[in-house]
Amino acid sequence: MKKAITAIIAVVIIALMVLGYTEAAHHSDGKMHEVDPQEIIFEHLGDSYGWEVPFSHSKRIPLPIIVRAQDGSWHAFMSCRLADGAQYDGFQIAKGGDYNNKVVQVLPDGSQYRPVDLSITKNVAGIFIAALLVLVMVFKVKNWYKKNGMKAPRRLTAALEVVVDFVYTDTIRPIMGKEAPKYGPYLLTVFFFILTMNLLGLIVIFPGGANLTGNLAVTAVLALITFLVTNLTGTRHYWQEMFWPDVPTALKCPVPLMQIIELFGIFTKPIALMIRLFANMMGGHMVVIVFMLLIFIFGSMFGAAVGGGMTVLSVALSLFMLILDTLVSFIQAYVFTILSTMFISMAHVHAHHE
Amino acid sequence: MELFKPEFGLAFWMFIAFLCLFLILAKWAWPFIIKSMEERADLIDKGVAYAQEAKAHLDNAKVEADKLIAEARNEQADILREAAKMRNDLIEKARGEAADEAKKVTDAAQVSLEQARKEAEKQLRAEVGDLALQIAEKVIRRNIADDDAQRALVDQYLSEVETKN
Repeated sequence: MKKAITAIIAVVIIALMVLGYTEAAHHSDGKMHEVDPQEIIFEHLGDSYGWEVPFSHSKRIPLPIIVRAQDGSWHAFMSCRLADGAQYDGFQIAKGGDYNNKVVQVLPDGSQYRPVDLSITKNVAGIFIAALLVLVMVFKVKNWYKKNGMKAPRRLTAALEVVVDFVYTDTIRPIMGKEAPKYGPYLLTVFFFILTMNLLGLIVIFPGGANLTGNLAVTAVLALITFLVTNLTGTRHYWQEMFWPDVPTALKCPVPLMQIIELFGIFTKPIALMIRLFANMMGGHMVVIVFMLLIFIFGSMFGAAVGGGMTVLSVALSLFMLILDTLVSFIQAYVFTILSTMFISMAHVHAHHE
Repeated sequence: MELFKPEFGLAFWMFIAFLCLFLILAKWAWPFIIKSMEERADLIDKGVAYAQEAKAHLDNAKVEADKLIAEARNEQADILREAAKMRNDLIEKARGEAADEAKKVTDAAQVSLEQARKEAEKQLRAEVGDLALQIAEKVIRRNIADDDAQRALVDQYLSEVETKN
């Protein structure tokens, strides 16, 4: 049995090396285009108007493009119409320039106009899929309780329940106290949404593969919502501490030093949230891709054989990074949630001498 | 660096998606789940407390039973002791009563004996008197000069009286 497993592993490793060798040889013999690591990295981390399918460079799952042209009219069509630089309805996907890989309108004078773009891009579709998944999972738990009442759940429902319990009972409630039921739903939604997006990003084929939380727009929206919740629900005392804090008058009166610092703090908190999640997830994805690209980089630098030899190491390192990223997915979702909880509860301070 | 340029469309859809997700979950799912989970936690806590109480009861029950048994034993011993005492008393009493009764009976017997004796004495006296009278009568009747003969005669009559008695 042990021998059989060893043999299988050896065959897989050799096959990987051969595959890597031929791929690397293919790309380094000059006939094919040179591998451009930067382009590959940004293509995988960035957004696109179609969803790539495995084992194909050209085929894409078409997604709707919704744009508002310069004259104010809205246009909606599928992204397959713009494949391979084709023009449709005066729109095309720009190559290079300021709007690289974005839909632009080609004006009659030949210049490019970037329309208001509400397309369902790969990332938007990924967000919808993630939201749908969260809905399904959470309602699964809810329906369990509705149907089975006090019985302990099993399988996925039990796993979800453990996570809900961990986030709500062990994190939100100790921090928020009696306000937990009011803000729990928001924080739980944030946690599950981020977690699902993180994990979906790690799956390389269709329902996953979109680098959602490694995108600044996504994390910015999440941080913005926490910012709004924090500051719109802040108590009088929170604002008092902001504009008239309990410090020696010299620090706040002629020169509003403390106020400036506090005001600055309002904005740095959500920005820190935004950057932390974005950088962690994007960094993880980038490292995985770079490890894979090492095959081709080494192949083009030292010849195909070295590239082929790199295969095993690359796959092993990528696998390690993916496992690490799974952990990071949980940690970052949790960190975002716990920090949001703390920011919100910090905005709900009451006077010390109550 | 397009990675660091947030895309408006994406942010817009993200906002919409998150808002929808939040509203749906906040209205129909989370409060229910949280409530149910807390209810179940309470139920389990209560169950554990109940089990602990029951166990304490059980442990106590043994001690209590032992105590009861010990008490019962004491009581039993007391009762036995009392019973023994009562029995002794009864016997004592009965004995006393019996002795009294016996004394009464003997007294009565003595009295009747005394009476009988007195009666007998009386009778004897009467009879002796009679006899003496009879003897004297006979003696007189016979007129015997001889002293000895008279004496013999008295003797003879006395013997007669003795044998008669």
